Order: sequence, then structure tokens, then C-alpha cells
Amino acid sequence: MNLPASIEVAALPVERAREATPRRARISTSKRLLIALLAVILFVVISPVVVVMLGSFLNTSFLGLSSEQWVGDGSDANSLITFQWFSYVLKLYQPQLLFSFQLAVLSVVVCILIGVPAGYLIARGDFPGRRWLEELLLLPLALPGIAISIALIQAYAIIRGRWYFVLFGHLIYTLPFMARCVAGTLRSFDCAELERAAQSLGAGPWQRFFFVVLPSLRHAITLGALLVFAVSFGEFNVSFLLMTPLTATFPSALYATYTFNSFQVSSAATVVFLAVILPVLALIQWLGGDELSKVEQGA
Amino acid sequence: MLKRFAAISSGPLLLGVLVVLLVWPLICLVHGSLHEGNGGGGWTLDHYTSIFTTRSSRVALFHSIWISLGVAAAAVLICLGPAWLFVRHDFPGKRLARAVLTLPMSFSGILIGFLCVIMLGRIGVVPRLMEWLTGTDYFSGAAYQLGGILIAYFYFEIPRATLSLESALRKLDPRLELAACSLGAGAWQRFTLVVLPQLWPALLATFALTFCVSLGSFGVVLIVAKRFSLLPLEVFEQIFAFNRYPLAAAMSVVLLVIALCASLTARWASNHLTHVR
Repeated sequence: MNLPASIEVAALPVERAREATPRRARISTSKRLLIALLAVILFVVISPVVVVMLGSFLNTSFLGLSSEQWVGDGSDANSLITFQWFSYVLKLYQPQLLFSFQLAVLSVVVCILIGVPAGYLIARGDFPGRRWLEELLLLPLALPGIAISIALIQAYAIIRGRWYFVLFGHLIYTLPFMARCVAGTLRSFDCAELERAAQSLGAGPWQRFFFVVLPSLRHAITLGALLVFAVSFGEFNVSFLLMTPLTATFPSALYATYTFNSFQVSSAATVVFLAVILPVLALIQWLGGDELSKVEQGA
Repeated sequence: MLKRFAAISSGPLLLGVLVVLLVWPLICLVHGSLHEGNGGGGWTLDHYTSIFTTRSSRVALFHSIWISLGVAAAAVLICLGPAWLFVRHDFPGKRLARAVLTLPMSFSGILIGFLCVIMLGRIGVVPRLMEWLTGTDYFSGAAYQLGGILIAYFYFEIPRATLSLESALRKLDPRLELAACSLGAGAWQRFTLVVLPQLWPALLATFALTFCVSLGSFGVVLIVAKRFSLLPLEVFEQIFAFNRYPLAAAMSVVLLVIALCASLTARWASNHLTHVR
């Protein structure tokens, strides 16, 4: 009856020694310090976003926090909460919002069509110059957007002002994300083995690609598509330089509100932007988790 | 056989896409920067020399480089903390904290500039708070000074540096530290003698990465720069204010070359890391 207890007593010191008591004691202080640092960083990251969110619907001039006067319809000038800035922004910048949305969806479609085979090619292809092709594909992630835009303008001045010119700029920056997602997944398991198994069962190359490789890439493609959407929708540098008034994206509209409009209108526009981008980011985090650090490392 | 055919035909296809999207524009950029007028004229190096002889652009280049260097150093040092925490420790709310920390990843520079102005502008939140607390509006207009620019760029780099360091830390073998621990090494000794020697290539790679990103971003300065001009902003002004494409192209080439050097350093460093492993 006493036997289990005595074993437990005997086992405890060993366990303790294995877990290294002095280490534990010191780590807890360093961990506490690190958590304090993390808390400070989190506060710095989140507080401006909260301020913007509050500023977008609180009537700051009524609260006496802002001297700005609203010169619109002024129907509820004395209420504490107002959503008129949102309707103003949505009315004024609807074309830009729509264009950005279309551009992001198109980028996703093109990236699936080109980026997925590209990822397959750089992970599994065996031909001379494969490494160079990979370098070239991932190169734009390290290059300044402004330089790329000027290069594009110099090379294709004729099509400046067309919507697909902006799409070109977005593709340069979004293709690497998709290719990296796909290639990363393909390298993480033995895809060749699977394909050989399928081949031994009589599957042709296209059958293997569509019924063996693609299904195992479903997760990577979903993650890649979300990343591409987020990158494309939030992209400012390239689209701002490539755009003409008719091909302005929503981030360019944001810039316009920051430059010309009041704090509240800018905040409302920012919140509209966040309302699109935050769900996508949450999905990415939920799906991607730890893989994200590998994918976004070079962004 | 057919697979080989597919590989052989799709390789050049992808190459073609990349040439159209990337290689040809870059060639045009270099070509444009070496010629006199907008699209024509003889060969010349004047645009490159004028970057260094004109005071404003020389100062902008100088500022660009040292601000990016400073922010990259700060980002690597500070973000090592959260990265370490995410890899080695478990605590409640870890996933949420990580999600919040990676939030600025998809914020464009202008958004961060705007946030900076809201918090540290002339009637920003922090000065108002300071006025309410102490009676003097400290930090008023800090957004437009060096401090504000540094903070905004740092904000921009938080997720990039953290994610990059995190993936490097994940590759470290905790058993080495346990071994050091069993030999009597304290926490600080373990960190400086065991972790750091393994980690420095990753630190260098992250440094180069964040340096590249800060160097190329111009959204932040577009909003907050009043006193400080950085090279990307200078490029932007050369095009939109003076319509001097060749000079803008030359500046872009300078930016490209610096960024390429930095990313080659990063590549060299991460190769070194894999050799050590």
C-alpha cells in the first residue's frame, strides 16, 4: 500500500533534477520580463488602431476633443455617436473600393493559375537553371516598390492608365507569396513518393497532378490565396505610382483622405479598410499559424 | 515523358512571365537612368553624379541609409524578445498576441504614417494626454520629427522582424542549452555562449531584411516627413513635381543596388546558418 507513494517520493527528485530547478527559477523572471516587453509592444501596436476605431464613430467635436466642424448635412451634430462619416466615405470612395476588391480577386485568380504551377516547378522541376528561376521569382520581395514602379512605367508607358497595368504591378509582388506557399508545402513531404505510387497504379502525369498533387496542396493554395488577397488589397507603393485617376485603388483613396479630409473621415476610411483586411488576416493566422513565419519571412 | 515535356515547356513559360514583369522593366530602368533626356539622348552618367553632388538628394540618401540601419538594429534587438517567447514559452493568449503582433504586416506605409500622426501629431492623443496629466503638451508634433519617423518605421518592422526571428529560433536545438545548463551555465551564460553564436547569422539576415524593407518604403515618409526627406520620397518628387524621369530612375537604381547588397548579405547569412546546423 505504501509502495506507490514511496516510488513517487523516489521519482520526484529525479524529475526535479531533469527539469533543472535553477533554470526554472531563473526562466520565470526572464519570462516575466519578456512578457512585460511583449505587453508594451502589443500596446504600441494596438492603441493607435483602437483610437482610430473610436474616432471613426465618436462625435469628437461634440465631445470637445476636436475643433473640426462637420460641414455635411449636420443632422445629428449633437449626438455622441455618429456613423455619417462611414456613409460619406462609402459614397465618395465606392469606385476605389470596388476596384481594389476586383484587383485583389483577379490577383488571386492569376496567382492560382500561374503561381501554383510556378511553385510546383521550383520545388519539383528538374531542369537546368531551376535555382536561377527561383531566385528571379522571389527577387521582388527584396526590391523597393518605388523602383519597380518606375521600371514598369519606363518599360510600358503605352499601357499606363489601363487597369491591367496596375494588376501587373500587383502580380510582381503577389506571385512570390503563392509560389513560396506551394513550394514550401511540396518540400515538406515526399511528393515524389506519392506520385510514384499513383504512377504504379497507372495514373498519367495530368491525372497525378490534378488528383494527387493538387489535393495535397489545398491548404497551401488557400493560405496563399488569402495572403495574395491581403497583399494586393493593402498594396500602396506600386499602385499609387502606376495609377491614373480612373485606376485608383482604395489605399490611394486612403492617402487622399489623409491629405485632404478631417480626422474623422480619415478614421472612417481606415476602419473600412480594416473591416476588409482584418477578417482575411484572422483567417490567415487561423489557417497558417506557425507556417506563416516561413512564408512571410522574406516579405 | 509527358511530365518532362510539361516541365520543359512550363519552365520557359514562367521565365517569359518573369521577363515581361520584372527583367525587361529593370533593363529599361537602368537604360533610362543612363540617358540624357526623357527617353532619348546620348549615354551619360550625369544623373548618378548629380545624386551625390546635389545637396538635397545626397542628404536624403544619407538619411535613408542611417534611419534604415537604426530601425533595423532596434527591430532585431527588441523583437527577439517576443520571438523567443513565442517559440520557447507557452502562456494564455499566445495565439492572440501573435496575431496582434503580425497585424501591421498588411498595413501599408501611409496607414502607419496616419496612425503615427494621430498618436504623436500636433494635437495627437499622446500630447493631449500629456497636457491633461502634466499641463504641458509633451511630444506635440513628434510625428514630424526624427523620433516619430523612427517609431513609425519600427512599427512597420515589428511583424517582419518577429516572424523572421521566430523561424530562426525554431531551428535551434534546445538540447544544447540543456547540456550547457547541466554543466552549470547560468541563463545569461547560456544565452551569450550557446544561443547567440548559433543565432547571429539569423540576426544578420533579419537585420538585412528589415533594412531592405525600411529602405524601400515611402508611404510612411509621404505622410510624416516634413523636415526629413528620404530617398524614396525624393524619387517620388522628381517624378511628380519635376517630371525628371532619368534622375528618378538613377535614384531608383541606387536604391535597388543597396537593397540587393543587403539581401545578398541576408542570403549569405542564412546559408551560413544552415551550414552551422
